[in-house]
Amino acid sequence: MSMKIASPARLTAWAGRNTAMVALLIVFLIGSLFVENFLTGLNLSAILYQYAIIGFLALGQLLVILTAGIDLSQGSLVALTSIVTAYMMRSFGITVAVISGLIASALLGFATGFIVSRTRIPAFVVTLGSLGIARGLALLIADAKPISIEIESFVDFGRANLLGIPVSAILWILLGVGLAFFLKNRRIGRHIYAVGGGEESARLSGVDVKNVKLLVYGLSGLLTAIGGIIWTARLSSGSPIGGTNYEMESIAAVMVGGGSLFGGVGSVSGTVVGVLLFGVINSILNLVGISPYWQGTIKGVLILAAVALSQIRRVHTTH
Amino acid sequence: MQAINRTYREQSFDTQGVLKILSILIGMMVLAALVSDGVFLQPKNLVNLIYQNAMLIVIALGQLLVIVTGGIDLSLGAMVAVTSVLLISFQDYGMGAAILISLIAAVAFGMVNGVLVTYARLPAFVVTLATSQIGYSIAKVVSGGGAVYTGFAGTELPTNLTDFYTTGVMGIPYPLIVCLIFLAAMGLYLRTSYGHFSFSIGGNERAAFLSGIPTRTVKMAVYVISGILCCAGGILFVSRVGMGDPQAGNWLPLDTIAAVSIGGASLSGGVGTILGTFIGVVILAVLNNIMNLLGVPPTVQPAIKGVVILLAVYLNSARKQN
Repeated sequence: MSMKIASPARLTAWAGRNTAMVALLIVFLIGSLFVENFLTGLNLSAILYQYAIIGFLALGQLLVILTAGIDLSQGSLVALTSIVTAYMMRSFGITVAVISGLIASALLGFATGFIVSRTRIPAFVVTLGSLGIARGLALLIADAKPISIEIESFVDFGRANLLGIPVSAILWILLGVGLAFFLKNRRIGRHIYAVGGGEESARLSGVDVKNVKLLVYGLSGLLTAIGGIIWTARLSSGSPIGGTNYEMESIAAVMVGGGSLFGGVGSVSGTVVGVLLFGVINSILNLVGISPYWQGTIKGVLILAAVALSQIRRVHTTH
Repeated sequence: MQAINRTYREQSFDTQGVLKILSILIGMMVLAALVSDGVFLQPKNLVNLIYQNAMLIVIALGQLLVIVTGGIDLSLGAMVAVTSVLLISFQDYGMGAAILISLIAAVAFGMVNGVLVTYARLPAFVVTLATSQIGYSIAKVVSGGGAVYTGFAGTELPTNLTDFYTTGVMGIPYPLIVCLIFLAAMGLYLRTSYGHFSFSIGGNERAAFLSGIPTRTVKMAVYVISGILCCAGGILFVSRVGMGDPQAGNWLPLDTIAAVSIGGASLSGGVGTILGTFIGVVILAVLNNIMNLLGVPPTVQPAIKGVVILLAVYLNSARKQN
């Protein structure tokens, strides 16, 4: 991505590789120029605040999609995390509650990963099953009712700002940077790409395919749980019915950011840009006052456009 | 062509797989009859079972066809929502016109899916995820956000449409007849050349293309048919509940995929049977029925359903490991 001389040719090449980034810049520019109140600290901070949660989910989803899998259970895991956290907080305090929430979701993630890696059931169906299981467990523990949280410091944490930036977003970006380093420079990170690039060749080159797959679903559960805990803190209660369809947003973000459902392709930076793109678009649509009924159409068309652009790039780079 | 015919026949008479899920189903039915003290087998309960699942069967056939070509359709629920809203809203021009308008909308929807998947070569998962959002959004725009019960000019739904759902000929309920017609029609379609081609494309699209199969037209047809079946599903939905709902059917994509997978189809394409899909739907239906008869609280039901889907697909996939 080195741009020593910003010659037109280099610029086009860079834009070709980073379609999501270009789209984000264009949308951001349009927002700044034509939309009142868009380019204000308050609004930008609100975008980060709102989309950090999907951001955590998208990082987990990226890991799974890199191995050519998919995780449909994320939305239900958010609900499970929130219920376990709220339930435990009643008698054991913040630390135990947060850790239990993380463990519950990660455990279910690992269980999913175990089934995906040890059987031939497609990830789509396995995670469809764990979607039902997580939702059912959340409803069962909560007796289908929300569990309120009285501890102020926990609720404050969800809404905290540092220098005007939401703490949740700072945490998300830090985790993203860490994950990018892990994917690029650690052996397991490279193995995740290898499994997605071709399972058989990865296995023959000595990659422990089964455990790599086990790991990505576990990590997806853990990252989802972090998003879920922040979500719970903001809501100041655990909700067994919340988080529905969050997985669809995280999948869309990964795809828009250049990920491929066939595995092996995708990056943390692209995924982060994908999440921000949805955040900025959402903010513009709301500021302009477009009817919420129309927003689905506009978002759908934008997803298609963004994926079509990244597809053109892929055709160019493979031929 | 001979080879294609043979592979198709092998798949359609995959006796081992069908027997496996059939035995699961029979086991579940025996269990249902035992635990419910025979209530399960009473005609009233069986008719209810049909009422509740007629739409799912019709729409699962579309999902099966799409999955057989290696695609996936997540926009089924949105298409049902759109057709149900259009059907109610355009009643002012007569029921025939309303049905025609919703059919045109469903076909257009399927064509958009098809064009984006085949000509723009975008992954079916993302395309139908996006068109699903678009569909629900259009349904809300047309209906004004909530459920609709009358046409734009206030025309009431004719009672013969709602009566249709609860009556029948010679004791056979109409919804069941509709299901049987669509099952037969899909059976015939899979025996046409386009049906065979759908399997070849799912098996190996490049090879199918190189052997002269019009892969693009066949894939277009698959998505359009899925749209048409959703229109039929939407009409069944309206005649059952008597309203157009812009949020209808959001569980349809996942339930149909579960049914098709339980029925032994492979999500990577090329394998799948109508009989298997039908049994898959019935397994889900019987499961729901048992849980309700037993008074299992609705809170626990999704968890049990998740476990059963996993087990059924596992049992049916274990065979393929060899």
